[in-house]
Amino acid sequence: MLPLAQAELVQLFRNRSVLVTSLLMPVAVAVFFISYRDVFTRIGSIGYVAAVLVFTIAAFNLYATTVTTLAARRQGLFLKRLRSTAASDATILTGLVLPVGAIALVQIALILGVFAAASGGGPVDAVLLVAATLAAFAMMLALGIATAGVTNSPEHAQVTALPLSIGVIAVASWVGITGTESMALLKRLLPGGAATELIVAAWDGGAALTGSLPLLAPTLAWVLVAVAVAAKMFRWEPRR
Amino acid sequence: MSTNTVIDVEGLDVAYGDFHAVKDLSFHIERGELYALLGTNGAGKTSTLEVVEGHRQATSGTVRVLGSDPADRSVVRPRVGIMLQESGFSADLTVAESARLIGRLSGREDSVERVLGLVDLGHKADTRTGQLSGGERRRLDFATAVYGNPELLFLDEPTTGLDIASRDSLWATVQRLRDEGTTVVLTTHYLEEAQQRADRIGLMHRGTFRHQGTVAELTRSLPASIQFSLPRHAPAPPTSSVPQADASYAIETFELQRDLKQLLDWADTHGVELEGLSAAPTRLDDVFRAIGADSTAS
Repeated sequence: MLPLAQAELVQLFRNRSVLVTSLLMPVAVAVFFISYRDVFTRIGSIGYVAAVLVFTIAAFNLYATTVTTLAARRQGLFLKRLRSTAASDATILTGLVLPVGAIALVQIALILGVFAAASGGGPVDAVLLVAATLAAFAMMLALGIATAGVTNSPEHAQVTALPLSIGVIAVASWVGITGTESMALLKRLLPGGAATELIVAAWDGGAALTGSLPLLAPTLAWVLVAVAVAAKMFRWEPRR
Repeated sequence: MSTNTVIDVEGLDVAYGDFHAVKDLSFHIERGELYALLGTNGAGKTSTLEVVEGHRQATSGTVRVLGSDPADRSVVRPRVGIMLQESGFSADLTVAESARLIGRLSGREDSVERVLGLVDLGHKADTRTGQLSGGERRRLDFATAVYGNPELLFLDEPTTGLDIASRDSLWATVQRLRDEGTTVVLTTHYLEEAQQRADRIGLMHRGTFRHQGTVAELTRSLPASIQFSLPRHAPAPPTSSVPQADASYAIETFELQRDLKQLLDWADTHGVELEGLSAAPTRLDDVFRAIGADSTAS
């Protein structure tokens, strides 16, 4: 798995368009939100800005790059070649998405660090923030693999990845701005809804860790749904 | 199954819905053999190969490769090299990086410099694979398949797109591997390659074997042929000669040496020069054509 992850990392840094899309664009968006944090804090809360930052990286780096990478490797028949080696399917998929996952984690750690420094204080509950962020990333990664199953080419990824990328940020904004006092069940069941509630609670405080942990369940349920869809829909060779 | 059996297929059936691409196919390949799996278009050889390589599940039947289920990649693949008919490399990786990656994932040990040297790609080691020609990519395909000298080597249309020198070099490497005991499974549309190099041939048509055996066994059922033309005013040729549309004559025979001698004796006796004389043993092409003719007739 590590040789494959290493090769993917090399390719990521050699491909300028992927580099710009996956690294620079999310950072530019994050800089925008951090610069106008006071405006967004008035609309929602400071925790809402943190949630939007998490889902910006999760959607536009982790999710979109996963979909594009897997579609490109399939279209170029590289997945087929990898399957002619001793590596298992799980090893191949893990090796392919590991670099983008690791980069996304480093990105969000740095961005939230800068955000905390700029806003004069970090999260009230760092453990809960880490748990919610990891759950959100796991969900977006699994959804990325599932979406790649219905994506024919890297170009097609620009269409197939868009609804969920926009969708989770919309859900994060809806939950972050309006809270969960109304339509709580719907908001928590939508992808990103429960994770946003956790991130807001972790940053702003006011929620006990043990009481908040059950809110991880909807996000992890989305992981299971995405894995089931990926198992059914993922293709290793281009459609003939 | 003997201890020397590398591939053992019994009652293989591969179906896509109601369509049976492979029907009750059985064969075995012994250690050190070069076995050519050939077939007419849509015969089912790709489906057969995919199951034996471990890329596809059989609908029914049993397949053992080196004593194991071929789908068990972690057990089988470190001993098996596969040159797929069609597969890709990452365009942003170099030739050396690609060979190293696939080699390491195959679970075998080797030197990248050595395998690139085998296919004359050493000077391209730092070139990105996206900049290679089709023939160079095919050679890199071969290099990754023979990385670590596998016990069993699948070659699926290995010489397609290669120039003569690259073909000769590839076959020389295959021969060296065979000398060390490697078993080879070959599919190719170049029938002369199979005729020259295969120990045995499995010839598929409509999902099953139409013939299986050595080249001699396959061609034994069809006659060899003698062709010639006669100058004007020559006497009538021997009665076994059949006039052709282009005014030449053909003799089909299971006794090539005897009938050729008789023809030459006849020409000598009558002082006739046989123009464009050729005598050819039965070729695999003829066996293929016979299958096609049978299908049309049936």
